[in-house]
Amino acid sequence: MPKFTVDGREIEAAEGRTILQALDDAGLLMNGVDIPHYCWHPKLAVDGSCRLCQVEVEGVPKLQIACDTPVRDVMVVHTQNDRVKAAREGVMELLLVNHPLDCPICDQAGECKLQDYAYDYGVRASRSKEPRRALKKNVDLGPTIVFDQERCILCRRCVRFCREIPKTGELSVFNRGDRSVIETFPGTSLDNDYSMNVADICPVGALTTRDFRFKIRVWFLEDVPGICTGCSNGCNIYLGVANNKVYRYVPRRNDAVNDTWICDAGRMSYREIAAPDRLRECEVRDEAGRLDPVGLDRAIEVAAGRLRRLIDSKGPGVIAGLASAHASNEDLFTFRRFLAALGSETCGVAVVRGKADDLLIKEEKAPNAEGAREIGFGDARAVVDRIRSGAVDAVIVLGHDALQEGLLGSEQALAGLDTVILLDTHASELQRVAHVIVPVRHAAEKLGSFVNAARRVQRAVPAVESGWETFADGEVIARLGAALGLEGFDGSYDVHSVARELAATHAAFAGIDLDTIGDAGRPLAESARPRTER
Amino acid sequence: MLETPYVTRYLTEHFGEPDFPTLKGYERFGGYRAARKALTEMSPEEVIELVKTAGLQGRGGAGFPAGMKWSFMPKDSDRPKYLVCNADESEPGSFKDRILLERGAHQMLEGILIAAWATGATTTFIYIRGEYAYPADQVERAIAEAYAKRYLGDNIMGTGFRHDVRVTRGAGAYICGEETGLLESLEGKKGQPRKKPPFPAQYGAFGMPTTVNNVETFSHVPHIVDKGANWFRSFGTEKSPGTTIFGVSGHVVRPGLYELPLGTPLSEIVFEHAGGVPGGRKVKGVIPGGMSMPILPAGQLDVPMANEFLRERKTMLGTGGIMVMDETTCMVRVASVISYFFRDESCGQCTQCREGTGWMNKIVERIERGAAEEEDIEVLGDVAGKMEAKTICAFADAAAWPIQGLLRHFRDDFVEHVRQRKCPFAGSFEL
Repeated sequence: MPKFTVDGREIEAAEGRTILQALDDAGLLMNGVDIPHYCWHPKLAVDGSCRLCQVEVEGVPKLQIACDTPVRDVMVVHTQNDRVKAAREGVMELLLVNHPLDCPICDQAGECKLQDYAYDYGVRASRSKEPRRALKKNVDLGPTIVFDQERCILCRRCVRFCREIPKTGELSVFNRGDRSVIETFPGTSLDNDYSMNVADICPVGALTTRDFRFKIRVWFLEDVPGICTGCSNGCNIYLGVANNKVYRYVPRRNDAVNDTWICDAGRMSYREIAAPDRLRECEVRDEAGRLDPVGLDRAIEVAAGRLRRLIDSKGPGVIAGLASAHASNEDLFTFRRFLAALGSETCGVAVVRGKADDLLIKEEKAPNAEGAREIGFGDARAVVDRIRSGAVDAVIVLGHDALQEGLLGSEQALAGLDTVILLDTHASELQRVAHVIVPVRHAAEKLGSFVNAARRVQRAVPAVESGWETFADGEVIARLGAALGLEGFDGSYDVHSVARELAATHAAFAGIDLDTIGDAGRPLAESARPRTER
Repeated sequence: MLETPYVTRYLTEHFGEPDFPTLKGYERFGGYRAARKALTEMSPEEVIELVKTAGLQGRGGAGFPAGMKWSFMPKDSDRPKYLVCNADESEPGSFKDRILLERGAHQMLEGILIAAWATGATTTFIYIRGEYAYPADQVERAIAEAYAKRYLGDNIMGTGFRHDVRVTRGAGAYICGEETGLLESLEGKKGQPRKKPPFPAQYGAFGMPTTVNNVETFSHVPHIVDKGANWFRSFGTEKSPGTTIFGVSGHVVRPGLYELPLGTPLSEIVFEHAGGVPGGRKVKGVIPGGMSMPILPAGQLDVPMANEFLRERKTMLGTGGIMVMDETTCMVRVASVISYFFRDESCGQCTQCREGTGWMNKIVERIERGAAEEEDIEVLGDVAGKMEAKTICAFADAAAWPIQGLLRHFRDDFVEHVRQRKCPFAGSFEL
């Protein structure tokens, strides 16, 4: 392992790494060692064209670009001396010669590397008196991305991204010299499952997403670390929050999960949180068959009454549980414990399936299918089969995943049941057959953990509050358990202690604590549970 | 009357013979004797050692020792190795390779064959600029002749050695003369230089170990093998042996090609060989080695034309394209033409080059229009300085150096434009 010295600090590097890569590996890049860079990106091939990351390497006459200079043992690097600073200022001045400086109307302002580096490493006043390049300000690159050619600094990250990550290669640099522009090939458009990442990696305001542009100034946004719930990959994200509203998801780097990317579908799934079809009120069905709005206490009371009647007449075996892979481990563990205390054996988890690729997009379209299985939920199909066979009179349903996956054949499978208790985030056909409905929280609204397809436990923290009364699924179940007088349920619900109990009772979760798991998550222990074929 | 250089030595000696471009004519003057010697009597190592001893410097502009370049090719590689002949002669002021292609295609092919033997290359790609249609035709004709006589292809001269030569025609970009820009273009991609390392000897054409040499460089090789290193060193200076073909253009009585030993004083070439400036006017400045090399003022023409001397005058031999400008020349106009050229031809990858070439050109054009202040002259020099030695290839240097040279020696021309708010050289050349 070569050791090298950067500004007097000794750093160990893996074999074959360049200076920037080695600093990035060590977590020091722009975090202790400042080497500004545009074209270099940790997850893309080295380009070496912006020339901003030049550093002095002792014994080498010319300045070297840190992105493409391999670390050698005992190499001595200077990143902050006058020669390096002068070179940086030179690059910054040249980059700004043709930049429109339209920051006041630019969406990138506030998270713009051209702004940041101009402040940190640039010259304050431009010496250029020449007219700047006049180019197209509003180029429609495709369904998701709008391109401002004037702002582009031609770092070509977007070009390399399309070639290397989705491997669709829609973008290229056309023309040459100071007439160079990024474009799609004639007759094509930037349209792939990951297209919006180009806006994240664009260091300036050239590429913006059609969805987010002009919505809000980024300095009003708080970046809350979270997990995308679009599929079982569990991509790490920041939820951009202001005024108790999520404005966007952007990828949060996690080299063990999603590198620095998320798919477009996952990114757009933030719209679920404030969707108009969110369930807002508890409802119970009256004798005339109408749903009446009630408070949670009344909803619990009605649900408990219906279940108690069935338990007393037919025993707990006629009650089934259908879980959602959108629920957190803590919700699911509480539900599983509830069913066990009740004496019901019939439970399973429904998982919506869809298309997958070999990059990030997974077949299971929910964040916690693996967690649900680990906690003891089998396949929902078995539960539905029992319901269809007439052996079930009541079902407690978390979410409408089973409906979406087509397991229920619209809602008919549940239509004849004595009691359907629905805990859900969004409206669905299940409302038509439910007797008790309780609105529950989205993953962005509660603390909880999820297990992704690679069996990594990751945490989501509350980023927003719904503007109406909602509850975590686990909390509703806990109160229902208390109302039924089940053992181990006193009506209280503390997500931290649920997580601790999960860790104490399930070997795979041993040592996992919501407070210490961190934003990067950690792998689940190998479980003795036989792996199911999926 | 065939077009031949005014002064000839070994390279161009027989270029006046009508049949010299043909294989028969070339062999009449001893052609392919050196290749036969190399392939049958010498080991590849011996050939490389000979070229190193001869001290042959690359004639494409950078002057890198050819034998050393060949020795960088990996010895024990199971990957095919390639040679590339750079015939993209695109440096303004250069026109020496053209005649070597037109009149001496077999001489170049023989040099290629010897280099192939020395490096173990399986194929040579000759990249000829698209504008050189007739030269390319001549090369293709010569290649066909060589194949027919088993000087190329399988079992060359009965030795079992195989070598193939292919011609690729360029599409007109200056940057495709840069060796890695050329490689990209050869592969069918946009001609944008590659970052180095890896150097072509490790990762060249189509990812294979590759050596790129200029047309003239290859053309010297048969003579070195035939007559020896000492003979070669009898021409030129100790550090810069051999002859080269100087192409003289501009304000001279006899513009044209002159094959002369390296180290010949620039003044001798301009005044004695090329006849000096017509009409009794005085020389103002001379660009010694193609447009990317810094200009020399009239007072510095005593310099011997070899890099060791030219470097002391902050310029270089380049491609030996000598451009003479007389006293009527507006050096701001020259700067304007040069900066426009480099702005137009920059590939646009590196920030300094893409933005710097455009910025310089805009400043110079404003100075030329009489719309600039003296501070703009400072900025112009400063921008050139910011571009130097900081980019993927030497194009930015090539764009910056001539501007720096013009500012160094002819600053007064720039200042006068600013003061008079117009060009003081009425009737200076127009394009």
